[in-house]
Amino acid sequence: MTAAAIEARGLGKDFRSIRALDQLDLDVREGEFFGLLGPNGAGKTTTVHLLATLLAPTRGTARVGGHDVARDDLAVRRVIGLVFQDTTLDRDLTVQENLRFAARLWNLPGRLAVPRIEALVRQFGLFERRADPVRTLSGGMRRAADLARGMLHEPRVLFLDEPTAGLDPRARRSLWDLIRRLRQASGLTVFLTTHYVEEAEPCDRVAVMDHGRLVALGTPADLKRTTGVGSLEEVFLARTGHPLAETGAG
Amino acid sequence: MRAVYGIVVRELVRFRRQRARVLASIGRPFVWLIFAGAGYAAVFAGRNEIDYRVYMAPGLLGMVVMFGALLAALSTVTDRDAGVLRMVLVAPIRRSTIALGKALGATVLGTTQAVVVAALLLPLVHLRPSLAGGLLAGLALVLSSLALGAVGLVLAASIRSLENFAGVMNFVVFPMLFLSGALYPVRHLGPVLRLVAYVNPLAYGVDLLKHALLGAWAGAGYGGELSPWLDVAALAGFAVAGLVAAAPLLAREGGVTRTAFRERV
Repeated sequence: MTAAAIEARGLGKDFRSIRALDQLDLDVREGEFFGLLGPNGAGKTTTVHLLATLLAPTRGTARVGGHDVARDDLAVRRVIGLVFQDTTLDRDLTVQENLRFAARLWNLPGRLAVPRIEALVRQFGLFERRADPVRTLSGGMRRAADLARGMLHEPRVLFLDEPTAGLDPRARRSLWDLIRRLRQASGLTVFLTTHYVEEAEPCDRVAVMDHGRLVALGTPADLKRTTGVGSLEEVFLARTGHPLAETGAG
Repeated sequence: MRAVYGIVVRELVRFRRQRARVLASIGRPFVWLIFAGAGYAAVFAGRNEIDYRVYMAPGLLGMVVMFGALLAALSTVTDRDAGVLRMVLVAPIRRSTIALGKALGATVLGTTQAVVVAALLLPLVHLRPSLAGGLLAGLALVLSSLALGAVGLVLAASIRSLENFAGVMNFVVFPMLFLSGALYPVRHLGPVLRLVAYVNPLAYGVDLLKHALLGAWAGAGYGGELSPWLDVAALAGFAVAGLVAAAPLLAREGGVTRTAFRERV
């Protein structure tokens, strides 16, 4: 049996009286490409933030890379990379300055950071723009720079929280190319949240989430077969009684 | 520590990019010197003890420190709005490290701006501090910047959005300036305002600057009003208290995952 990259046991979070995440039990294997599919407000971002130690759980426990999120948050943050829904880069700094800033935050010495930044900007197609302020970059390039920032410290688990939100189809495709190459190169575990069904299709396994609860979990093929439908879209509809897209408005 | 250094470097790079901010911070005290200085000097005239513009000099340096350090610390609000704070929060560093980095960034910015202004302002008003006075003034600038940076972090953590920024300017920055002894001696204030003045970190910074720069006029009642040791202790106290209070506030959940929260309501 392969080691678990992520283990959640009864993990839950309330915001005041709102139950954002009910009780999540989940295991993600080392090297797995795992998708969390659900409409906006389903609790996907809350799940990621709990696993990334940005939020303290209201109940339950979770381990990421073998470290407890509540007791050993620094160790968890050391082994994960996180790309948020919207950019976390400083728009006034250049791509390179942002990456150097991140390298220092992750305690990478210059002799390690400089060649790594150079390799990442080349790999991510940002070499020509590396000295330009992030503000002047297109949405797709910004997201690529965000991904470079998330990969700089060579994490074992990469969280992608709605990484393609707001990107045009071409930028979306090139981002997925990058992610595919990263996975092939390093055996990286990727935990993706999305409300786009087509982005969940290539995942090894998909968890379907609605109103803070898991409603289905399995390989895309298994989910379709056991539900007796032809697409993940229909899986969602069959398991929740409402379509994925329309609930996504709120 | 490398993360602290990284945070400080980012503050400096950002500042250098904002040319308007640089010019404003250097020019502001001279605007006060010309306009406020002219008016008050006329009121002061006839009491030949001190030229009001000389009297103002320590206060103006204090003002530069206040705007420089406080605004640098308040940039945490912008960091949160722009999402940059999340990059920092997801790094494997403690909240106290972030607070320290931000406060030291504010210290470097506040001190540097004040030193530049001092180099222009002091010759202009014919104020030539002794070597000891100059060193004490340097200490006062560093400590005041640190204290105001730390207090600014606590303020920044309590401000929900940039819209509240104007409120902070009106209800914090200006009272802080007027109740600092920068423009008139604190002892002339009524008991209530004087009490408020002594919970104002800038008051101790300006007082220490007066010890450093206006020693020659101390006999006439224009020097520092408190013991310089008290000034140093108070500034250090504000710095430590601010840092301790700011660290947990930085990670407050509303700030980190506001979108996640909003998405549910």
